[in-house]
Amino acid sequence: MELLGTVIGVTVKSLIFIIVMFLAAAYLTLLERKFAGHVQQRPGPLHVGPHGFLQPIADALKVLTKEDLVPDSVDKVLFYMASLLAFVPAIMILAVVPFGEPFTVFGLEIKPYITDLNIGVLLALAFGSLAIYGVIFAGWASNSKYPMIGGLRKAAVLIGYEVALGFAMVGPIMQAGSFSLREIVEAQSGMWFIIPNILAFVVIIFAILAETGRTPFDVQEAEAELVGGYITEYTGMKFGLFPLAEWYIATFVLSAIAVILFFGGWQPLPLMGWLPIPDIVWFFIKVFLLFMFFLWVHWTLPRYRVDQITELAWKVMLPLALANILVVALWIIFIG
Amino acid sequence: MVRIKYVERPELTNRERILFVDFIKGMKITLKNLMKKTVTTAFPFEKLTPPKRFRGTHAHRVKNGKEPPSFKVIEKFMDIEFGESRCVACYMCMQACPVPFLFNIEAIQLPDGRKKVVRFDMNLLNCMYCGLCTEACPVDCLIMTDIYETASYHRASCVLHIDDMKKRSIDFDRRRYGEPDRIWIDDDQRSKLWGQIKWS
Repeated sequence: MELLGTVIGVTVKSLIFIIVMFLAAAYLTLLERKFAGHVQQRPGPLHVGPHGFLQPIADALKVLTKEDLVPDSVDKVLFYMASLLAFVPAIMILAVVPFGEPFTVFGLEIKPYITDLNIGVLLALAFGSLAIYGVIFAGWASNSKYPMIGGLRKAAVLIGYEVALGFAMVGPIMQAGSFSLREIVEAQSGMWFIIPNILAFVVIIFAILAETGRTPFDVQEAEAELVGGYITEYTGMKFGLFPLAEWYIATFVLSAIAVILFFGGWQPLPLMGWLPIPDIVWFFIKVFLLFMFFLWVHWTLPRYRVDQITELAWKVMLPLALANILVVALWIIFIG
Repeated sequence: MVRIKYVERPELTNRERILFVDFIKGMKITLKNLMKKTVTTAFPFEKLTPPKRFRGTHAHRVKNGKEPPSFKVIEKFMDIEFGESRCVACYMCMQACPVPFLFNIEAIQLPDGRKKVVRFDMNLLNCMYCGLCTEACPVDCLIMTDIYETASYHRASCVLHIDDMKKRSIDFDRRRYGEPDRIWIDDDQRSKLWGQIKWS
């Protein structure tokens, strides 16, 4: 009976997470478009609903009802799989993201996370890099030159940032003494891990921008050079899933991971602990701020070349991540 | 022999390297622009009025008592009622036009010896809106208006005829005849707007 309860609970929670993430991603598109518009001194979507508020729904209807063309010479299996492979791992990271402390409603204990794995960080890292295969497969399966170049570029970027990302996550794990994201947050009740881990935070920002293909490192689509990059041959909802997964869900979820690792997860902001705000809201405020930071970077910077990204990753970010490990080790020895 | 000038690429200082100075400058500009007001117009709902000298759809001025003296000279050879197009079918516009078959002008001789314009068509699909035809017109008949929405459902409706050109001109003159021809009226205003221009 207890097993059944757990299964139902996890199923319901997963469904809620997935549906809310879908809606949130839809409205993150609106947020990004409004933000991008106002950065360029234009209003963005304006006509569907008040100030374009219903634009995501109109977009979803349009994308879903569009004709779904599959070019003749594509690798059918990989072509269909690629869009799912980009999307599913990105949303599966949510399984280990804790949104807050367990709380009790009507005598029922609700945990605002699906599972608390003791290797949560590793799982997030693994799914994050698995999502990149969607891009690479899309490039390969499309049987066309621009997607091919885009996919290979993404692969080149991947081998650059992935190592630095892994090493950058070591610092907070060393301090918390655990791979579990929940325990990492609980270890930050005194002080956030941003204090000794500032170098790792820089590396993580770099890695998230590279992994989600946001602007300084968006070589895989590079509209000006590669038409649409890896999504050139895609249409309809298969086309829509890629930006949804990469730009919105992956960015959001990885922002959540970064908030958990460096900014104390659901702990309140410093000096604001007295405010009557539940911890889930604190968590979402922080994630939202970090997401807005990524948008801000995206709409500011021009694009790096692939070789520059690889150079940056291996020559700057990897040494920074290693230096961070040293700093954190000294911090643990001398300060505690 | 092409001579190449080699320019030293400025190196970043250590301060700029470590603290991302250029990055922060860029972010500041983005934030500044985010706070600014938008500069767009919601086109189908708001329409900008172009300046009077805008080169839009063509029109024919009518005989309304404001003709230039050159028209008075030719008038007695023409059969033009008051309120009709003051075109004298001199074919100057056709001569000035850089496009071969844009104009289709026909005039006939009446039994009393006077001349009557029976057809004045302009195929705007070929027009590049250079305005040379309006410069060439000796009687200030062919003008360009401020109308810029020229899209239509049929190619045939892109051809202008003498009647709709007449109507467009009446409408245009009613709205904007009294307006000064330039956006500045005298040289003082011009130097206020554009600064003093030094002629070489």
